[in-house]
Amino acid sequence: MREDTDHQEEEMEINMTPMLDIVFIMLIFFIVTASFIKEAGVNVQKPKAVTAEKKDQASILIAITDKDEIWINKHKVDLKSLRTNIEKLHAENPKGTIVVQADKNAKAGTMLAVTEVVNAAGVPSVAIATEEKQ
Amino acid sequence: MRKFSRKQDEAEINMTPMLDIVFIMLIFFIVTASFTKESGLDINKPPPSEDQPKDDENKALLIQVDSANRVFINMRVVDVDSVRANVERFHAEHPKGPVVIQPALDAKAGVVVSIYDQARQANVYNVSIAEPRE
Repeated sequence: MREDTDHQEEEMEINMTPMLDIVFIMLIFFIVTASFIKEAGVNVQKPKAVTAEKKDQASILIAITDKDEIWINKHKVDLKSLRTNIEKLHAENPKGTIVVQADKNAKAGTMLAVTEVVNAAGVPSVAIATEEKQ
Repeated sequence: MRKFSRKQDEAEINMTPMLDIVFIMLIFFIVTASFTKESGLDINKPPPSEDQPKDDENKALLIQVDSANRVFINMRVVDVDSVRANVERFHAEHPKGPVVIQPALDAKAGVVVSIYDQARQANVYNVSIAEPRE
């Protein structure tokens, strides 16, 4: 057995170069497109909107559930500690913007308080997540 | 050149560990890749300066939402779905006039986002959300 494989390998070795090329190109593609979005960790019912735009730079998602709980980076936080959380996450990716995923039935006051905290934390661009209306 | 290829026969670099690492990186980036793009509405708050000259041209349309989710335009109760028609009429009369949404603290976020979206559908992109009323 051993002799057989050794013998064969010497005669015709598989050329790995094209496969390596493809693997490297895939690797570079995935490194470049990797965005590392900080998910909020809960599912909310987003309001529907027609004029929504795709947010390519979104890196932090903050969710507000229908019971007015605020979730960021898979943790439930309260309004007071939200700012430190945002500042910490924003420092990791300063170019990223923030999307607030407010539930349809969440209170508007909570939603605006969260956007205010985001602005106070020094993130200039904040958007409200919506679902596209069919 | 020929000499070089003979040298390759003698001592070939072992590519296997590098390939292992490249494959592990590839799998890592494929798994972490998140192609979900959030769609959302950018929100902007009205500029803090309160004492702006109130010309007729700069007249703003105030849309209020109370805690029972009733929508008021110019102190008149309107249906949520007729906001767009109202904003369109306002936009025809005051092409540069902004729309200000003032929700109550207990109003639902879905209603606010719906009004925001309808104002944008009526081609008024200068929409802001004001401080909630108590």
